[in-house]
Amino acid sequence: MEVEGKGGEAGTTTTATRRFALPVDAENKSTTFRLFSVAKPHMRAFHLSWFQFFCCFVSTFAAPPLLPIIRENLNLTATDIGNAGIASVSGSVFARIVMGTACDLFGPRLASAALTLSTAPAVYFTAGIKSPIGFIMVRFFAGFSLATFVSTQFWMSSMFSGPVVGSANGIAAGWGNLGGGATQLIMPIVFSLIRRMGATKFTAWRIAFFIPGLFQTLSAFAVLLFGQDLPDGDYWAMHKSGEKEKDDVGKVISNGISNYRGWITALAYGYCFGVELTIDNIIAEYFFDRFHLNLQTAGIIAASFGLANFFARPGGGIFSDLMARRFGMRGRLWAWWIVQTLGGVLCAFLGQIHSLTWSIVVMLIFSVFVQAACGLTFGVVPFISRRSLGVISGMTGAGGNVGAVLTQLIFFKGSTYSRETGITLMGIMSIACSLPICFIYFPQWGGMFCGPSSKKVTEEDYYLAEWSAKEKAKNLHLASQKFAETSVSERGRASTHPQT
Amino acid sequence: MMAKDHTLYKDLTCTHFFHQKSIFLLPKFPNSTMTIHTLLFVSLLIFSFIESSRGGNKDKFFTELQNSLEVTAKPVQDGLVLEAGKDMVTIKWKLKSSAKVDADDTFKKIQVKLCYAPISQVDRPWRKTHNELFKDKTCPHEIVSKSYDKTPQSLDWTVDLDIPTGTYFVRAYGIDGDGQEVAYGQSSDEGRKKNLFSVQAISGGHVSLDIASILFSIFSVVSLLVFFVKEKKKAKLEQRE
Repeated sequence: MEVEGKGGEAGTTTTATRRFALPVDAENKSTTFRLFSVAKPHMRAFHLSWFQFFCCFVSTFAAPPLLPIIRENLNLTATDIGNAGIASVSGSVFARIVMGTACDLFGPRLASAALTLSTAPAVYFTAGIKSPIGFIMVRFFAGFSLATFVSTQFWMSSMFSGPVVGSANGIAAGWGNLGGGATQLIMPIVFSLIRRMGATKFTAWRIAFFIPGLFQTLSAFAVLLFGQDLPDGDYWAMHKSGEKEKDDVGKVISNGISNYRGWITALAYGYCFGVELTIDNIIAEYFFDRFHLNLQTAGIIAASFGLANFFARPGGGIFSDLMARRFGMRGRLWAWWIVQTLGGVLCAFLGQIHSLTWSIVVMLIFSVFVQAACGLTFGVVPFISRRSLGVISGMTGAGGNVGAVLTQLIFFKGSTYSRETGITLMGIMSIACSLPICFIYFPQWGGMFCGPSSKKVTEEDYYLAEWSAKEKAKNLHLASQKFAETSVSERGRASTHPQT
Repeated sequence: MMAKDHTLYKDLTCTHFFHQKSIFLLPKFPNSTMTIHTLLFVSLLIFSFIESSRGGNKDKFFTELQNSLEVTAKPVQDGLVLEAGKDMVTIKWKLKSSAKVDADDTFKKIQVKLCYAPISQVDRPWRKTHNELFKDKTCPHEIVSKSYDKTPQSLDWTVDLDIPTGTYFVRAYGIDGDGQEVAYGQSSDEGRKKNLFSVQAISGGHVSLDIASILFSIFSVVSLLVFFVKEKKKAKLEQRE
């Protein structure tokens, strides 16, 4: 699959003394995306980063498909299982926020590999836990690794230029999230293989955890050995030589958190990605208990939810870009709100269905909608702020996990609600928390229900308003200026290609 | 400017919008992806049909069963807690003397099961008691299933290795020729509070597993530090150049 961007040259490009396999722009970022290439540094970075993120997802959600065995071994109650589910997604809230700054300081390669290697012990130690507290702790620490989402997006944004960065980000994120589905298939299979080799049930599940742990460790090694932070080299070398300019961290953060749109995307992402994380945690047990299936069958069904990420999330990102070409930012917002609300409706239905076949059908359709909504979210996020892009991305990403924490706390802890009622209520909450998308308004492009401001605000006005006059005098705003010029495409076809 | 606004708004009419959306809902990836996903979906449907067509006992209720069997279950050693895989329970069953003489004529098989006492069901919905036998999760562990013998039976059963920690009693079901439960008996009373025994499960852990965990963890953290040091050295070298 190839996605072409505007500009760039066909064939190899030479910049100074370097040759790149892919056409590049002025910043040496690739202007095309060639899925089946592993060419250094751009496509190699893509494959390394999505695979590492995938392995972290596999580890974080390795326990849920084996819960029917683990809960008997450790004598867990429904409350313990709920708490562990909450713990698994809550560590990453903080980690995602910090990861943006870590990438800025150390580069995405080192930051992500450091996180992955330091959380791998939590996965290994799962083999030795003896009590509910142990279970909650290992799930908590292993869950930190989900912050590699931020490093993936950061790395892709460093390697790929504007017209293709959305697709690169969407595919990398989608294929990483795939791990949440793949693990529901992998772990029961690994477990039954180990059982066949003679281990008892209560030992086999423990040995099984070495597999995700090893994959996590090896993927981090691959990133460190074969990856590169930027097209021109690695971060530390470049930072110290002064090639990268630094902005005032305090101002970047305050500029980001004072932008109300970031809070709305954080809430909305909490009810698409948060829903996805919650389902990853509960769906295998749901099918196992409600429909009396065996571990492998429940695992296959649970896996199909997460596996839809292969095309659903990238599809959401691509759909967002397509809507923008015709309708601009307003199209992105409408598409996002409709897809996410429909996802909530399907989720509410899922809990009400008594038949196994229909549950699977509805779950599959629901998975496509909720994951596409995640892709659509990050079609809007890059335009909210240019100066504080990292902060907004981090807030949104963290908001996803907060949504998962809240949902599991309210609906899936203990035995207050049956699982099916919990799923329905989660769908209803998702619909409600998607409504604030209607309030996102860009003065230069409009919002869902209102057109652009009558004061004729331009893209330049919006993005340069993030810088003070003093900072503009020092020319710190030039990157934002460039971005404002390219973002004129968000006005949609009617304005950029008038049919008069 | 005003004309532009108007055009933009016109483009967003509902029908126009949904027509556009329906085309884009189909994945734009190579055909192999669609094929894989379709195959997965079809195999799921097949699985689910197989699974849902099992279970012909959907309509039988526990309260319909005759309590005509007398079952006793006593730990061989009078210790407080039985160890899974090691300790034994003596289980005896026979037709109740108060039952009709030919009450067990319909029994073809006897199925003896290990059941959770209410205290082990608290906050664990996967062990919940349901009146519908098909849904009931009280007795998931089978001890023995064999053809029914009218004479009083006795069995010394070693607690299986995969029995979880909990408090238990024993129940026997009399099963007719169609595979349907017709009668039962249990070692505890109706409220399932008396004559219970406790089991302590195996931990499943091994020293070798713990050692492997520690070794792999140290390996991960140490290799991270090694890489960091290497990076610093490389950065210093490049600076000097």
